[in-house]
Amino acid sequence: MSSSVAERHSGREQALTLSQINRVLFVAAAVIIAAMPYLTNSGLLYLVGTTLILAVYSVGWNFLFSWAGLASFGSGGLFCIGAYVSAVALRAGWEQYFLLVIVVATLAGAAVAFLVGFVALRRTSGIFLAILTLSLAELLRHTLMHTRWLGSEDGLPNITRPTVSFIFFELNLKSGPAYYWFICAFAVVMLGICWWLSHGPLGRRLQAVRYDIERASFVGIDVHRNRLLAFVISGAVAACAGAVYAPWAQIVTPELSGMIRSTQPILFTLLGGLHSFWGPVVGAFAFMGIDYATRTLIGIQEIITGGILLGVILVFRGGIVGSWNALLARIFPGRGEQ
Amino acid sequence: MLFTLINSLTLGMAVFLVAAGLTLIFGIMRILNFAHGAFFMLGAYLTSTMVQDMPGSVWILIGTALVAGVIVGLFGLAVQHFVLSKLDGIDEHFMLIATYAVMLMTVGGIKSVWGLEFHSVDPPPGLDLGVDIFGTFVPSFSLFIICAGGVVFLILDYVIHRSWAGKLAVAIARDNWTTNLMGVNGPLGTKIVVAASFALAGLAGGLLLPNQTLSPALGDTFLLMAFITIVIGGLGNIRGAFVAALIIAVIDGLNTYFLPSFPGVIIYVGMVACLLLWPNGILGESRL
Repeated sequence: MSSSVAERHSGREQALTLSQINRVLFVAAAVIIAAMPYLTNSGLLYLVGTTLILAVYSVGWNFLFSWAGLASFGSGGLFCIGAYVSAVALRAGWEQYFLLVIVVATLAGAAVAFLVGFVALRRTSGIFLAILTLSLAELLRHTLMHTRWLGSEDGLPNITRPTVSFIFFELNLKSGPAYYWFICAFAVVMLGICWWLSHGPLGRRLQAVRYDIERASFVGIDVHRNRLLAFVISGAVAACAGAVYAPWAQIVTPELSGMIRSTQPILFTLLGGLHSFWGPVVGAFAFMGIDYATRTLIGIQEIITGGILLGVILVFRGGIVGSWNALLARIFPGRGEQ
Repeated sequence: MLFTLINSLTLGMAVFLVAAGLTLIFGIMRILNFAHGAFFMLGAYLTSTMVQDMPGSVWILIGTALVAGVIVGLFGLAVQHFVLSKLDGIDEHFMLIATYAVMLMTVGGIKSVWGLEFHSVDPPPGLDLGVDIFGTFVPSFSLFIICAGGVVFLILDYVIHRSWAGKLAVAIARDNWTTNLMGVNGPLGTKIVVAASFALAGLAGGLLLPNQTLSPALGDTFLLMAFITIVIGGLGNIRGAFVAALIIAVIDGLNTYFLPSFPGVIIYVGMVACLLLWPNGILGESRL
């Protein structure tokens, strides 16, 4: 997003640079999100919390797509794995070890992603990878639907929100707002990690591979290994988001592994802005707004969602973030990054 | 055992009917059409409106299915004109997502016209009973679907591989630019094949309508099975799709026979295995 070089060039002379405008917006949005429990009722709070979790999940997907250039259509399966691990553990009464449960769920997601990626990434890419991952998620959904001890089609209900005990103090997450703030903290930590990975050496290497696979391998980048790493990281983020989601929704069902969940990050990323770190986050909240505004219009909702998506693909390929930056650059010419 | 086999074969042929159109549009435009399942469903809904609770005879069912196919084909022309033709030459992921958007809009349209409640249509008289083959009761509607699948495959295979029009279509798919240079109207040819692909989706919806529970989720189930079929068989390869449909039938039969508590799971395992063994499909990828 903000390139520090451009800032150094224009930031000193101009009163207000583009990245500063975006920064102000960013802080304002963060403050509003953090203050949500004071502003809204519990229904809307639930919606915003879910959107935050899905935003983190989508950023993980986008790391794979926009950085490594691989489109997975089965990330819902990994989200589902995380959610089920967390659900089973919490129902078994391990709530004081909730943080450990999240770590275990994340590792489970990473392990599954490693197995899938290790076999699949060498053999397939593009459309084949899309269908393969879609089928694997569907396989998981069907297996869960017929597994008795995981609740079959009805899933696992009545997941208790945990009370986490640290060495010195205890964190009670039973109430809605308390767990909501826990989600906020989770989002900050995960987005921070993803930001660091995207903009660090790994992110650079992946982008090199995406731009030109032959040159990248020529300068000594192990293409397969880096892609596999991206696949595993993306899977771990999805499972981690799932693990946080389970106690928030208090129920997990096999539908978490369905096509809707797997395509969600794709829609968020596209609407928000491709090849942009914050795109999926913006897209997630935009979609939440559209969904909420059209929630009573059965059928019309899909038409509007589909129409917006088509519009983005045909006209505004940069999504909201891309269009916004282009708009700013137009209103204030010569004030920021190109 | 025979009963299981007939049941699986019915499933296989039903999936082939849906996959045929899907593989056709991939062959000509290199598009994996997410909207195919939705248009399949549209065909089923249109037919159900025309025949009400029960079609009068087998021929009325086939006739209305053809009419539904034509209507869906016209929709396909509109989609081709307004969406697909605009996306030529961009990243394949955008194509996938564009067809996904078309799917959302179609499903939304179906929901707002026909509502959310479930419909069901009975098979026409003559197909509503069963016949006795070697002492096994076989529903005659299953036989109808198996025959329909076979007939559609033979017609498609003849048209694509033997007829003049089919050869032109193959030429357009292989090298659009050179074919244009030879005085063939490439864009028109593409339009016709795309319309035929959508029409096949509508036709399949009409033919498979009886004994289905008609709900807005119908498209997804068939779409995924059809995806698996064409991926196993080789994208864009109509013969491959037919072979893959038979393989799916066998796998599903084995699944029901040996693992009845997990219906429909082994198909995915088989698909993953096939894809890893033959990354381009059993009969290879083909441009029509």
